[in-house]
Amino acid sequence: MGVLSAFMKGITRLNDFVGRWIALLVFVMFAFLLLEVGFRYLFNSPTVWTNELTQLLFGVYAVMSGGYIMAHRGHVNVDLIHSHLAPRKRAFLDIITSVVFFIFTLALLWFGIDMARDSMSSWETSFSAWNPPIWPVKLAIPVGTGLLVLQGLVKLLEDIAIAFNLDYYRPSEQAEEEEEYL
Amino acid sequence: QETVTWKVQSHWPGSSSSYTDSLGRLKRVIEERTDGRLKLQLFEAGALFKAKDTFDAVSRGILEMGTISPSYAQDKMTLAGIASGLPFAFRHVWEAAYFHQNMGFEQMLRDEAAKYGVYWATDKVYPTEMVVKKPIKSWDDFTSLKIRSSGALQTFLTEAGAAASYIPGSELYSALDSGIVDGAHWGAAQGAYSMGLYEVAKYHVKPALNIAGTDVIIVSQKALDKLPEDMQKIVKQALDEQFWVRTNEYQYKERVTLAKAIAEQGVQINTLPDDVQAKLVKTAQGMWDEEGKRSEEAKKALGMLKEFLGNLGYL
Amino acid sequence: MSIELLTLLFFGSLLFFLLLGLPLAFVLGGVSVVFLYFTWGFDSFFMVASQIWGTMGSFTLVAIPLFVFMAMVLERTGVAKDLYRMMHLWFGGIRGGLALGTLAICAVFAAMVGISGAAVVAMGTIALPSMLERGYDRKMALGVINTGGGWGILIPPSILMILYALITGVSVGQMFAAGIMPGVLLMVLTAIYVLVRAHLQPHLAPALPKEERGTWGEKFRALRAVLLPIGVVVMVLGSIIGGITTPTEAAAMGVLGALISAAVYRQFKWSIMQEAAIRTFKLTGMIMWILFAAHAFSAAYQSMGAQDLIEGLMQGIPGGAWGIIIAMMVIVFFLAMVLDPVGIMLITLPVFMPIVKSLGFDPVWFGILFVINMEIGYMTPPFGFNLFYLKGVVPPGITMKDIYTSVIPFVLIEIVAIGIIMAFPEIATWLPGVFF
Ligand code: NA
Ligand code: NA
Repeated sequence: MGVLSAFMKGITRLNDFVGRWIALLVFVMFAFLLLEVGFRYLFNSPTVWTNELTQLLFGVYAVMSGGYIMAHRGHVNVDLIHSHLAPRKRAFLDIITSVVFFIFTLALLWFGIDMARDSMSSWETSFSAWNPPIWPVKLAIPVGTGLLVLQGLVKLLEDIAIAFNLDYYRPSEQAEEEEEYL
Repeated sequence: QETVTWKVQSHWPGSSSSYTDSLGRLKRVIEERTDGRLKLQLFEAGALFKAKDTFDAVSRGILEMGTISPSYAQDKMTLAGIASGLPFAFRHVWEAAYFHQNMGFEQMLRDEAAKYGVYWATDKVYPTEMVVKKPIKSWDDFTSLKIRSSGALQTFLTEAGAAASYIPGSELYSALDSGIVDGAHWGAAQGAYSMGLYEVAKYHVKPALNIAGTDVIIVSQKALDKLPEDMQKIVKQALDEQFWVRTNEYQYKERVTLAKAIAEQGVQINTLPDDVQAKLVKTAQGMWDEEGKRSEEAKKALGMLKEFLGNLGYL
Repeated sequence: MSIELLTLLFFGSLLFFLLLGLPLAFVLGGVSVVFLYFTWGFDSFFMVASQIWGTMGSFTLVAIPLFVFMAMVLERTGVAKDLYRMMHLWFGGIRGGLALGTLAICAVFAAMVGISGAAVVAMGTIALPSMLERGYDRKMALGVINTGGGWGILIPPSILMILYALITGVSVGQMFAAGIMPGVLLMVLTAIYVLVRAHLQPHLAPALPKEERGTWGEKFRALRAVLLPIGVVVMVLGSIIGGITTPTEAAAMGVLGALISAAVYRQFKWSIMQEAAIRTFKLTGMIMWILFAAHAFSAAYQSMGAQDLIEGLMQGIPGGAWGIIIAMMVIVFFLAMVLDPVGIMLITLPVFMPIVKSLGFDPVWFGILFVINMEIGYMTPPFGFNLFYLKGVVPPGITMKDIYTSVIPFVLIEIVAIGIIMAFPEIATWLPGVFF
């Protein structure tokens, strides 16, 4: 069972690492928008690249967030039934509904890979006036979705451990570790 | 008798005149002539696929039909740049129509699209024209403009010395209104009218920035092949005829809309002074060669175009 | 399968899995994929990827992380706290005073943002802890934020109104002008409700005890706390109205203002900035994944023939012209619980507009009813998006049930507002008439 624990910890760490770096993109987006306003208003010469680059970064920022948020239980749900259930029953329920989660994310992963591969076959650019490559942003879709799927797998393993009293995962340890990040 | 339904994704919003005039017409004509055996189910812009993915969706056969601007398929179609309009090439709509249908450019587009399992049929050729808040009376007026633009025209306008920037369509009205930009192009008169641009920008600039086959109907070859032969023929004929009907009708509606804008909203036509036009043409011609570099076909098409314009005495 | 039955199954599965506790984003996405598979086949999943790619490319959404970040900085640095202390000193004597202050901030925020989501999350961060700390009933506090946070789409600038104008062909300027008075009406009605309710049940929104109301000296010293927030507002609104920035770019001015405020408070520290950035990432990501899935969901629903359903429903409605308008409102009300505004507009407006015009109603007036209705849909259980956005920021003790029940009176108020605007269309149509 050591392998499972290591896998779960590893994936959560990975998502944390990625998330903490991607989160900083908000400063970059802010800086570029401000720069554009400055160029246009002060120098009367808008750039061709700031708004488009900001938008591309925003796409990466948004799609890469899935796994990190999953790791921190940030995807909101309705807890009407959840809040009345004992942890084991809740875990059972989550195991069942995870089927819907995997249907969505795996379909997205499949076609995300397809889309990214297609885009990379021609090193697709945006064909705007600035014409930057956009394949990296398309590539972010399967990467971000993949991270989400992996974190979903971690969540599933946790639920299985709770539901069946398996000892490769103890919820309390995890909870303490979570505290540090908040 | 079996009926087939095609899903058709438009790149026009429902309020756009082309949604009803182009797609509505095509639907009516095809359904009539096939005695209802082929039905078109229309979807507004963005309803199923992002506009830029429509070519992909049709190419994969997920959608049977769609409408696009050639620029959405630039990634695959090396002729798309020429199809969506080189600035200041044609001077009249009939020239662009002749170039497409009688000089073989349409067939070249069709051949290139066929490589992706797509049947290409230009919906119409029409001008793209600018609206501005202050009239352009001199070269200085032009170069001091901040213009909302996109794609190749943004490159062109920037190259020519104006400050062209991209602002999404949803913020265009506010941007013009508050003076973040002084001008914009969104189609020509009908486009500007439908976006409410004449409320905030009263000068309609002539001549056109470009005249081109900016709207295209694309059909999945797979879906076309599945139809019985007589129906395939009906679809193709309807598409061929669509080009002429719509090109002509669009011209008419442009004029009517502009007249309405002039009468109701006090819009004025701002014809660019000769020296400004001359400078713009010069910049434009410098950019054409770029498009020819994309492929052998593009080089050939550009050669054809230059010869054609030469024969007309424009070069 | 008929579209009626499909709709029932589609929304039914959504409700089912939502109640089982799966996060909204995954329920929307998963149900879309399953239904797409059975109605259109495996290849249609490309649509899900395409909708996500489309949402990633929507420039106006860039305002979300920026406005959320602005709110986080104002909260973390203590600017927001001091603002609430000031409001409490000045208006704390009135029962419900703090709620009124919150509504006022919501209205200002609404004039700064054109999209929903950002305001709810931002106000949830700034206002909720302050109200709860001062003994406000949690449902009162949640409801006020939920309703006020939704005003952004009614008070210009509004991306939603621009979309409405684009789809129906009415003037954007007229829509903007038409939204102002209904916005004021909503504020007044909501304020009256808060005051009356607080008067009758003081424990819901308690006044500050007399001995804590502070001296005039304290009050005026506390006023300094407003200067910075006002500065931020002036930077954002001023740059929109003054033609310096687009509404999306204005969000960056808001961040700039917040950073300057942080510097004035001597809180311009990397630890604070980093923490604000991470919380912003979590909240923006939550909103975006809901939007990703919601766009896929409405695309899937449209591909199944949603428009046929609306056309079918519109036939044979009794009650004449007004019956039809009310039926339309009911349809939008239900759709707005579960679909995103763009989806609702694409599905319903092509069917509704010709009917509205042929009945002789003003499309601008109808647009205002439509937009208010969508605000209601944003906060009605079980699916209203704002409920979920708010859930993302509340402290752990607050459950979805609290949020669900908190909105009931505020939904009723907005319905009353729709009724009033139906009875007196001039509320919406008068200003556009003056301007255009
Ligand atoms: Na607003
Ligand atoms: Na909704």
